[in-house]
Parts: sequence; C-alpha cells; structure tokens
Amino acid sequence: MRWGRRSRSADRLTGRERPPDNLCGVLYALTVAIFAASAALALAAAFYAWRDRLIDDRLLLVAAILELGVLVQAVVVLLSVGDVGGGGAEKATYAAYGLTLPFIPPAVALLAIKEKTRWAMGVIVAGAFAVAVMTGRLQQIWDLHG
Amino acid sequence: MAEQRTSTRSGPGVVLVAVYAVLALAATGRSVLQITEYFSRAPVAYLLSALAAVIYIVATVALARGSRTSWRVALAAIAIELVGVLVVGLLSYLLPEAFPDKTVWSHFGSGYGYVPLVLPVLGLWWLRRTRAAVDATV
Repeated sequence: MRWGRRSRSADRLTGRERPPDNLCGVLYALTVAIFAASAALALAAAFYAWRDRLIDDRLLLVAAILELGVLVQAVVVLLSVGDVGGGGAEKATYAAYGLTLPFIPPAVALLAIKEKTRWAMGVIVAGAFAVAVMTGRLQQIWDLHG
Repeated sequence: MAEQRTSTRSGPGVVLVAVYAVLALAATGRSVLQITEYFSRAPVAYLLSALAAVIYIVATVALARGSRTSWRVALAAIAIELVGVLVVGLLSYLLPEAFPDKTVWSHFGSGYGYVPLVLPVLGLWWLRRTRAAVDATV
C-alpha cells in the first residue's frame, strides 16, 4: 500500500516527530483503501443483482471491511481535524463527514436485508457510491491545507 | 404480504429511500452549518436550504413508512421538492447575488451531480406506480 507523497522509510524516520505528515499519509492510504472497498462492494452488489441473488454473508463481509475502513477513518479524522486549513466551516464539514460515514454501511445493509427483491442490491450500490463520494470530499478538504 | 410488496418502500422504492436518506443527511448538515456559521451572509438562501433539508427528511420518512397516509405526505413533499429545485435553480441563474453560497437546490443541484433535480421526478414516477396498490390496500 502506498503512503501518500512521503515514502515509507521517510515516515519511519520522522513519524514520531511529525504527526501531521504521518496522519496525512494514513488518511491518503485510507482514502485509497475505502475507494477500493466501496468499488468492490458496488461491483459485487451489481453482480448479485444480475444473478438475482439476495444479500448473504459474503457480501456482508465486503460491507464489513468497508465499515472497518470508515471507522478507522473516523478516528483519523477526529485526530486530524485540528490541522484542517480554511475556516470553521471546513473543519465542521470534515468532522461531520468523518463521523457520518460509519453509519452508512450498516444502514444500507439493514435496508438490503429487509428487501427481498433484487432492488436490495441497488441500495448497496447507492450506499457504496455515497461512501466513495464523501470519502473523496474528506480528502479534498484535507488537501486544502497544503 | 401483498401490501409489503406494493408499498412505497419495497422494490425500487427502497433505493429511493436510501438516496433520499443520503440527500437528507447532506442537506441537513450543510444547512445547520450555513445557519450556525454565517447566517447573515444570505438569510433567504440559507432558509431555503433548511427548508430543503426538512423536505428531504419528510420525504425519506414518508417513503419509508409506506402507508396510505404517508403516500400522500410523500406526494406533497416531493411535489414541493420539484417546485423548489426548479424555482431555486432558475433564480440562482437569474439572480446570482441572492445566492452567494451554494445550496442543495441552486443551479438545479449541480453541486450534487443533479441528483436533486432527477430525484423528485423519479419520486413522483414511483408514487404514481404505487398509487393503485396503496389504494387497493384500504
């Protein structure tokens, strides 16, 4: 996995003394990982819809991996919100997005479990897309600070 | 379980509920921020933003409930939403000085990938599709 603009060895050397740079790399890695996980979830759900399959443990596992990613991201966001540039509005949006994201995968999973037609997979796709867009916004806000 | 099958929350409706919920969340967040952080900059635009947020919440809940009454509530909410996005979208082009900051509905929802413009049309179509079924359950 890549660690942002900084190489891994440089991170190891300076990691302790320079927490913002370190967090920057972590946030970037998380963004990439969450993009990958939400794309995987959307593709899997599209495949399930095509085969007319309902949600099962395997798909839930992919959703759980995505959930893990956004949970870690929420922690990183809370740790780094002080370093966000711009005004209070950017800080507030950053924190709000970070803290809202962990609610999306469980919510769409619940909706999809209750729905017994292939439209259930549409909910999963929509949720995965929302997670990707909001994660992209988070990274954008973070990048504003330079 | 015929009622479950045909209510506004099943089939394609469940996707609508999910998209409405996400938009309700986004609109509420943005509106709370606008009103608490810089309300004086554009009170009218920000009040419209808050109205949009409320309407999205009402539409989400009404579609998710899927009863006969909630069908009517959803119809009202989504109709207001369609008028809102059209009027605010048009005004934001004609009177840009009244909208110094983006709202969910300005520029026909371009900041949200035009989802706010497409969603009420889909919503009304879905309500039309489910009307017969909802009437039949009573």
